[in-house]
Amino acid sequence: MVKETYLHDEHVKLGAKMVDFAGWHMPVQYSSIIEEHKTVRENAGLFDVSHMGEVFVSGFDATEFLNSIVPQNIDKLDYEKAVYCQLTNKNGGLVDDLIIYKIGIEQYLIICNASRVEDDLNWFSINSNGYDVKIDNQSHNYSLLALQGPKAVNIMKKLGYTIEGQKSFTIKSGKIAGIKMLISRTGYTGEDGFELLIENRYASELWNKILESGEEFGIKPIGLGARDTLRLEASLHLYGNDLDENTTPIEAGLSWSVPKDKTINYNGKDVIFNQIKNGVDKKLIGLVMEDKNIARHGYEVYFNDEKIGVVTSGCVSPTTGKNIALAYVKNLEQMKPDTIIQVMIREKLHNAKIVKRPFIEKRNRV
Amino acid sequence: MSFKDEMLCSKSHEYVVKQGDNYVIGLTDYAVEQLGDIVFLELPSAGDSFNKGETFANVESVKAASEIYMPISGEIIEVNDSLVDAPEKLNQDCYENGWLVKVKFSGNDDDFGDLLNYEDYKKEVE
Repeated sequence: MVKETYLHDEHVKLGAKMVDFAGWHMPVQYSSIIEEHKTVRENAGLFDVSHMGEVFVSGFDATEFLNSIVPQNIDKLDYEKAVYCQLTNKNGGLVDDLIIYKIGIEQYLIICNASRVEDDLNWFSINSNGYDVKIDNQSHNYSLLALQGPKAVNIMKKLGYTIEGQKSFTIKSGKIAGIKMLISRTGYTGEDGFELLIENRYASELWNKILESGEEFGIKPIGLGARDTLRLEASLHLYGNDLDENTTPIEAGLSWSVPKDKTINYNGKDVIFNQIKNGVDKKLIGLVMEDKNIARHGYEVYFNDEKIGVVTSGCVSPTTGKNIALAYVKNLEQMKPDTIIQVMIREKLHNAKIVKRPFIEKRNRV
Repeated sequence: MSFKDEMLCSKSHEYVVKQGDNYVIGLTDYAVEQLGDIVFLELPSAGDSFNKGETFANVESVKAASEIYMPISGEIIEVNDSLVDAPEKLNQDCYENGWLVKVKFSGNDDDFGDLLNYEDYKKEVE
């Protein structure tokens, strides 16, 4: 049974093209992916991301428990701060990637991928033995809206929200139009922006209020299609494409989110620390195609006529007009920026240049 | 005469319309709309021959790559090269200016057996 978010009717009213994604009937585009993408880079866009999972973790041992299942130092996370991290398995592979928000003393909100909620809950449960902790899946009770883009701040101000002091990767409780919500300064587009967590019954009201207030700033509703191209330009990983149970955070180029000084044990820590010390066999690289062909998920990567890896995400970058991709390759010495490698597309090899990630310049962040 | 009155459509969303002794082949407006923003198009060369059902071209939208199949057998006699450099033009017009290839028919009457007129095709796909 495919699920619908509480904004489903709004999407249909706006003429969205709907698709099934991770068990949800979601808008893939309203007008055009390229147009929507540019709207977010230049003005502001509103996303329904209510399919994502919300799990509240609380209890006397909440901090200790979370600290034992992710590489990040959750004991060092301050109140109202957020951290990007991975849920690792025994081999250092990823059960999911998450954002953990500290919303109180021994109280946390975890936002996880829609397709992974059940696996995450199962993994939490297996690992919570002996901890005094309550794991409360509230995914079905909350809607999540993402307001992203350089004009997001203007729109939030116009809606009466006081942003002063709320930096990137923080969360506060607040009110917009009398509706109570959790407001975090996070997102998945590479732009400044906010994610708003509200009770389902207020979803439509808030959605329309934001679109109305944002009109003078050029706001548009944005579908999952542009969400994918936006995140790929910013080189943000997509679980299921660029991350999975057989990929470690080190291989995925996420070493920045793995503290080297962590003394507490977590699943796969031995594998991960060994890779930090001795290097990895495969690693994630960014590619720009040298011709008009587009590298897609699953296409093979070659170097000197040898198959050395596979493309995990690829699209045309609406910002640069170039065809960009992420790929896992053998960690050869030559796998560094400016090296030309090949991608097999429709039984022919096409040149691609290894580039630094992200694919676009760092955007204005706070 | 409009393309939509004259053309026959395959269930894989190619159209074919007779023009003099030859046939014009392209993608239906329904297909183009479903694809969304078209960003890549690969067309065959004049002189290439294909059987009905064979892949003769490739199209990619932002979202995905798709193959385009020959709705009838024939030899390519003209290619709409202007589209290769500006595939986004297909999103505006897939008929008068957005046809893909012209072919010299080399099949038989059976080639048309499974093709539908536009009205029936629309009913089939919607």
